[in-house]
Amino acid sequence: MLAILIAFGAFFTWTKFFREEKEVFANEEEHFKYGSLGAEGDRGIPYYLWLVLPRVFSDLMPGPGGYKSFGVVWEEGHEIPVGFSKKVVGFARITNNCAVCHTATYRLSEDEVPHVVAGGPGQTNNLQNMLRFLFKAAHDPRFNSDIIMNEIRLVNANNYGNGGLSFMDRQIYRYLLIPLTKKALLKQEKQFTWMERYVADGKPKPHWGPGRDDAMNLTKYFMTSMPEDNTVGPTDFPSIWNLGIRSGTDKTGKQMLLNWTGDTPAVRSVLIDSALGLGAPARPWFLQRMADLDRYLSNLPVPPWPFAETNPINRQMADEGQKIYARDCASCHEPRAEFTNKVVPIAEIGTDPERMHSWAKVAAEEANRRVKQLGIDRPPMVERDPYGYLSPPLDGIWLRAPYLHNGSAPTLRDLFNSPNERPQTFHRGYDVFDPINVGFKEPPLRQVGPNGELKQPYFLFDTRQQGNGNQGHTYGTQLPNEDKDKLIEYLKTL
Amino acid sequence: MLLVAVALIAIVCLFFVARFTRDDPITYADAEEHFKYGSTGGERESGIPYWVWKVLPKMFPEYLPGKIYTPGTEYASLGFLYEPGKDLPIGVSRRNTQGLDRVFLNCAICHAGSVRETPQSRHTIYAGMPSNTVDLEAFERFIFACASDQRFNVARLMCEMEAIGGKYDLINRLLMRYYAIPLMRERLIMLNSHFRFVNWEPEQGPGRTDTFNPAKTLLEFPLEQLETRELVGLCDFPSIWLQGPRKAQHLHAHWDGNNSMMEERNKSAAFGTGTFPPTIDLKQIARIEQWLLYKEPPKYPFSFNEQLSAQGEKLYAQYCANCHGRNGRDFTGPHVGNVVPINQIGTDRHRLDSYTEELAAAQNTLYAGYPWRFSHFRKTFGYVNLPLDGIWLRAPYLHNGSVPTLRDLLNPSAERPTVFYRGFDVFDQAKVGFVSDVSRFEDDGRSRDDPGNPRRYFRFETQPKPSGATPRDRNEGNSNVGHEGPAYGTMLSPTEKDAIIEYLKTF
Repeated sequence: MLAILIAFGAFFTWTKFFREEKEVFANEEEHFKYGSLGAEGDRGIPYYLWLVLPRVFSDLMPGPGGYKSFGVVWEEGHEIPVGFSKKVVGFARITNNCAVCHTATYRLSEDEVPHVVAGGPGQTNNLQNMLRFLFKAAHDPRFNSDIIMNEIRLVNANNYGNGGLSFMDRQIYRYLLIPLTKKALLKQEKQFTWMERYVADGKPKPHWGPGRDDAMNLTKYFMTSMPEDNTVGPTDFPSIWNLGIRSGTDKTGKQMLLNWTGDTPAVRSVLIDSALGLGAPARPWFLQRMADLDRYLSNLPVPPWPFAETNPINRQMADEGQKIYARDCASCHEPRAEFTNKVVPIAEIGTDPERMHSWAKVAAEEANRRVKQLGIDRPPMVERDPYGYLSPPLDGIWLRAPYLHNGSAPTLRDLFNSPNERPQTFHRGYDVFDPINVGFKEPPLRQVGPNGELKQPYFLFDTRQQGNGNQGHTYGTQLPNEDKDKLIEYLKTL
Repeated sequence: MLLVAVALIAIVCLFFVARFTRDDPITYADAEEHFKYGSTGGERESGIPYWVWKVLPKMFPEYLPGKIYTPGTEYASLGFLYEPGKDLPIGVSRRNTQGLDRVFLNCAICHAGSVRETPQSRHTIYAGMPSNTVDLEAFERFIFACASDQRFNVARLMCEMEAIGGKYDLINRLLMRYYAIPLMRERLIMLNSHFRFVNWEPEQGPGRTDTFNPAKTLLEFPLEQLETRELVGLCDFPSIWLQGPRKAQHLHAHWDGNNSMMEERNKSAAFGTGTFPPTIDLKQIARIEQWLLYKEPPKYPFSFNEQLSAQGEKLYAQYCANCHGRNGRDFTGPHVGNVVPINQIGTDRHRLDSYTEELAAAQNTLYAGYPWRFSHFRKTFGYVNLPLDGIWLRAPYLHNGSVPTLRDLLNPSAERPTVFYRGFDVFDQAKVGFVSDVSRFEDDGRSRDDPGNPRRYFRFETQPKPSGATPRDRNEGNSNVGHEGPAYGTMLSPTEKDAIIEYLKTF
């Protein structure tokens, strides 16, 4: 009798909490966009809870549209945004994957649906806002089972024979999943307190804004026990297509590096460290997934200039621009060239130094030890204090705006102007493309609410804030205007 | 002794279980009756106790447009249609759930209409046509006003219900007192706040609603943060017959063509009948769905000129068929179901702008966890070309119902009426549409010229007002421009226009 009870209990527990359903995707791109990295155990939010959070806490949302108001990419007909995964491990759970930061959108006008490019920099997504929303919600007195179940009851419940959450499932939500998720979020928040620090002059750290995260501080506080510091290192999400050209050694046999200060020597290591940051556990399954992603991203083609109809590339100008590129840019930016994927010392490049300060040799050493302890064998991070910024290849550069490591120059044209001519402030997160200057347009003001108040809903980027400086990389700024035009024309072809 | 006690307790328990799990809709053998009076499941979560429904007009007649209590046809002044021998109007269904009789709206509230040849003739009811009389906004305002009134309290309601014959047994008296009435009040007050957007857009009037701002409030979008341009979602109710051929052609529907899947559109509309994914009555909805596949629009019942119609057929083929289908039954044509960019069609863009990418994305989460989760909504940038089956019953015209008759629609917008009245069901055979120049209702024995007569038809003004704080103050969304120019037949001669109209009567 007892044995039967125990067996039944074990089966029940397995079914309701541990049973994994295999994910099936039509192709690799779908898998990249919606596949799990296996972080359900640590970071999974129960699906129905995730679904109703924007409804219960609508006043904490940045705007109308549910999760879309954080700037995530949401494709037509899909249940969840790009970069989200819904996987059943006992119950359906939502986690994030690489695509949440690495999927770009663009359009020529607001009168069309955005085009989605997997592997592009997710320039519209405000990740920090989303994290803050979850933490704020977890602190809110409304985050309780009564209120949340009231909302879930209207979404999915098998009360009248339509199927859906059974009585038992709802009790699991009420007494376990909702309180446990609240607890987990509050615990997780502690890993992010560094984000909300007040820095030396009594000001809060500048916001990441859409399209950026404080990459090395994230790594530092996940993978090391270093004390919180005042560094501010938000960097633009990079494109992660065509990773193959960034892998291995250059023409002269020198090791190529990745990350903005050349912190890592191998694509696989970047992938693994980023995925660990999303809460993925180091299982064999995980390493296999990393290998698959490595292969997929290494060969992911670069999106060609898509405006052939409306804004075709002027071939003659581009050809002339190519000569300027070969003369002035290629040694640092041509794939596998002498200085490509190498660190250019800060005294030479002159761009904002903050990101550099956010990482250190000791951090790399400790992170390497940690990863080794997890039983993961990967090429270790470079154990050296950062001293400059990496010069990356320019494949698909047209879709990688805003420019510089901190995204402080909105368009290529701005980048070719001397720093004091670059815009001091601009808005980020808008995806209407400017095919002339190459970058995203400045969003117009909106009339909002019944009384038509004029508002700018997009993120104000202020280059005067710590870490946001738009100085440096003055290469090409002295060119005559017609040469700049030709160079930009050529860059569209990359 | 113990056994008897146990048995007794078991019986009592069974009684309560049976009573509180009861879920019996009133059913109808005839499909059309089912459409008009059958339940979609709205009573389960949103139901109004039957006797409360009956007593509200008696307690609060001042909140009704008619200002008087008319026993038997209590809601008639809201444009609700009563058929002889029926206790509830068309579009209101009844179900016993949890042992309590409750009523709520169904599809027919917006998709059934009435036609008369003259003010003296009898009303003919057509199921599936867009309602031309029901003022949904006025109904909402009525019921919200009741719920906010101090007289809406348990003691008062219980005794008023008893006075009109409402009888409840002990259990239901307790249920009403401690659960149903307080809950109804709480829900209505909450809903009133959710529906605050109706105060920001012009009045809907009979035959119209705002389709997608309610969806935003259902998804709890913070309404004050919506862009001003998306606040006006006014549009005419559509006809819903002949869904079969539409489905076969995967026609995109809703005025902006935002969804190609009939079942999804139906479930989306059913939110308006108070249903939620867990509470919708899928069997009953499926029956309506099935019936609508092949339900034909009624034949034009008045006389018409065959010879003129034959001339019109040729003109129709030349001017209209490419976008609207070969005729009233054959919906083929190179542009049928295509979305015409807004700059090209030129009609009022508010309804288009009220539907946003954000909403389309969030609608993907509706019916989450069910195999019929929404997945066909999309943002478009124009209005869709629709088939014209039964077009004679679909007046007023254009998506916002801003043009009273077909004949007016064939005129350039400068010649279309700028002020007319909606809600009258007498048919205008010359212009095809409803008589639109009568401002007051005179069925109750009061003259249409009596300024004290409270039964007014809805005055529709098409001109925007130059200044005003809100879209409502500026009368946005009611413009009658667009769908005009040589390609749209508005430059044809009067006889040619008459011929097209004559032909459209055959649809």
